[in-house]
Amino acid sequence: MSPLVLAAQGESFTPPGKEDFWWPILGSDTSPWTLTRPAVMAILSVVLIGWFLLAATRHRSIVPGRLQFVGEGAYGFIRESIGRDLIGSRDFLKFMPLLFTQFTLILVNNLFGIIPFVQYPTMSRFGFPVALAAITYITFHAVGFRKKGFVGYFKDLVPPGLPAWIVPFIFLLEFVDKFITRPLTLSLRLFANMFAGHLLLLVFILGAEYLLLHGAPALKIAGVLSGVLAIVMTFFELLVEVLQAYIFTLLTALYIGGALAEEH
Amino acid sequence: MVTPAPQRPSDGHDGPLEEARAWGIVSYLLAGLLTFGGFGMFADHLLGTSWLVLIGLLAGAALAFYLIWFRYGTR
Repeated sequence: MSPLVLAAQGESFTPPGKEDFWWPILGSDTSPWTLTRPAVMAILSVVLIGWFLLAATRHRSIVPGRLQFVGEGAYGFIRESIGRDLIGSRDFLKFMPLLFTQFTLILVNNLFGIIPFVQYPTMSRFGFPVALAAITYITFHAVGFRKKGFVGYFKDLVPPGLPAWIVPFIFLLEFVDKFITRPLTLSLRLFANMFAGHLLLLVFILGAEYLLLHGAPALKIAGVLSGVLAIVMTFFELLVEVLQAYIFTLLTALYIGGALAEEH
Repeated sequence: MVTPAPQRPSDGHDGPLEEARAWGIVSYLLAGLLTFGGFGMFADHLLGTSWLVLIGLLAGAALAFYLIWFRYGTR
């Protein structure tokens, strides 16, 4: 395909890659203190969420207005289907701020990936999911240690009823799972989904632009197809983004519920 | 009465608990493969063999399957 295209116009296509995610606004390319676009967007998302929630709760009435209805709907959904179901009706309320914050934060930052003219998912920079997963990690372990004591928490790692000889291996497995694999997969899952999704959209959109503008006439059809696929993938990306926010919050609640559960 | 355990929905399927279980399975498998594969790699490095990592991976997978079956299959 390349020779055909090159013969037509003499320009080459650079495929999108990880360098497309580096978007410094203030500062040099190598300094760790450079202000980047996703950092600004994350701050913006907090402002947006704060504004929305304040607006939704300003005129509280029994028959909700539009904003209040949406706000209540989102909060109620997280509270009932995630908080109460997974943590249990006794303890879940004090974790609701964490769960709701995580859900809305991840959702809004993910949605930035497909909102026109913004189109950059903040969570595709690994630092953000790591920070959120770190909060989950510290929370569920702290909760478990506080409830069961230091030794008791480790004793609870192994389910009862196992044959005695296998217990040390299972303990090792459970330890690695809870202290290493869980935070790893939690952060990696969100990051990888957002990174790959954004890359996919870049390929289709930039590919469509390139094929349409610089391609041989026969390839312009491929450009149109690429554009159509870009639209389809944008809808798919919307689904993935909402789903990832939901799963992250779900797992946080699950881990907290698991740390609090007595039958283990 | 307030129950300490999470409430389970009364409909036929578990809702969010199903997905949670699925992710738990993924997590355990990964943990098993990582730890015991890691041990295998380390032992290979110490002893100069090349096949211990495979034994480690298989043992880790077997252990993970056992734990998954135990936790999620027999309840």
